[in-house]
Amino acid sequence: MRRVITLAIVLFLNLILQSTVLQHIAIIGIVPNTALIIILSMALLRGSTEGAAVGLFAGLLQDLFFGSSIGYYAFLGLVTGYIAGKFNKGFYRENYLMPMLLTFLATFCYESSIFFTSVLFRGHLNYLYFLSHIILPEMVYNTVCTVVIYRILFSVNSATEEKEKFKRRLFSIK
Amino acid sequence: MKFFETYKKQIFILLAILLVLCSFITAGLKQQTGLVGSAVGFVVTPLQKLSSSITGYVGAQISSLSEERDSEAENEELRAQVALLEAENKRLSLYEEENKRLSDLLDMAQKYPAYDSIGALVIAKDPGNWFDTFLIDAGRDKGVLPDMVVMESAGIIGRITETGPNYSQVQSILDSRSSVSAMSLRTGDLGVVRGDYTLMNQGLCRMEYIDAESEIMTGDEIVTSGLSDVYPPGLTIGYVQEVITDANGLTKYAIIAPAVDFKHISSVLVLSEELEEEKSDQSTTTQQTEESTAAQESQPSSTPLDGEGGERP
Repeated sequence: MRRVITLAIVLFLNLILQSTVLQHIAIIGIVPNTALIIILSMALLRGSTEGAAVGLFAGLLQDLFFGSSIGYYAFLGLVTGYIAGKFNKGFYRENYLMPMLLTFLATFCYESSIFFTSVLFRGHLNYLYFLSHIILPEMVYNTVCTVVIYRILFSVNSATEEKEKFKRRLFSIK
Repeated sequence: MKFFETYKKQIFILLAILLVLCSFITAGLKQQTGLVGSAVGFVVTPLQKLSSSITGYVGAQISSLSEERDSEAENEELRAQVALLEAENKRLSLYEEENKRLSDLLDMAQKYPAYDSIGALVIAKDPGNWFDTFLIDAGRDKGVLPDMVVMESAGIIGRITETGPNYSQVQSILDSRSSVSAMSLRTGDLGVVRGDYTLMNQGLCRMEYIDAESEIMTGDEIVTSGLSDVYPPGLTIGYVQEVITDANGLTKYAIIAPAVDFKHISSVLVLSEELEEEKSDQSTTTQQTEESTAAQESQPSSTPLDGEGGERP
């Protein structure tokens, strides 16, 4: 329960900050996608199930406020979280290289799928332009932001895990 | 829990399919926020308002600090600008005559009714990099409805796409999903102002489907044409920055610099749906209006924009 509440607060806080404060730190008009970074970090720290759950709710929040339909970002978040969670096993959590690498690649896939599912069909065929002007800058920016956000979530996660140590787990990790 | 562990994959696949279906079904339908959205919005919107007013304040402080430093250079720049503006003023006064004549011709007076407007503050912006939508702090509680037009004093910003109890979503004219039927005020050439991905980040948009024969040129004012159901005619959109002939040579498109500075919007006006009433009002008093315009024609009309035939005693 504690974990659910913590995650809910993190996601709400992220929605508020992402839509207000972060708009002011845009570089060449590109804003880092902190929701995606949170999904990836939680998936790496806790595995597929929790990654998918975080992705689903982060996506739903974005759909409610900014989407043109309910379910679009939720679906993307769910899939992203689930796949990223597969990398949960076999890496040192203290090492930043894995989250950064994953963010770099996942941003590419995430933004490309947005392009191929909603931009392409409006008649914009110039993928290379969008790759160089939106996707690549965002990949770099997200990767840099991962360092900060992963560090914060790592501490948050350790604190919750410490509290949960002697309780039954909500989702057991095998 | 055991059930969940065994069928984890199946559950996720089912959930994913459901979400895809849901997004297909709700696409385009989402105009009034549902119960969940309303509840979440009730909590989040005040916080967003707080957060954006704080960042706005801090931003203003920082920019005023750097402005002081730049004031010397700015002074110089302004002097040059004054000279430029004086020259332009002369040119514009020539246009004024022409403009007066044209707006009489277009009968703007009747198409520009006194709209009721609702003031609102911008509280949040779409976090993604693909689209250009934002939230304002007026919703159904203040009478905002979908498809109302959002403006600043300089020109139009966009339209309402979705309303919540205390907030609404605005799609700006820079968004690639937006298109506005437009017209060049000087030449009367029609076109469609569209948002464009490649221009969005520079705060520009495109006017498409302009006839190749048209004499549209740099600096022309672009206004809404009134061919659309959403936008009333005669509202300023922006100014032509560049005119380019398409590769096929049959049509032109123009790069439009919107009159509104989209990077720094903080407060907006929502034009409320006075148009409907105005229409019925006009149809009942058409004769009266015609009489009053006929009367106006005999004497020089000094204020063409507030001539509202229907409300005259």
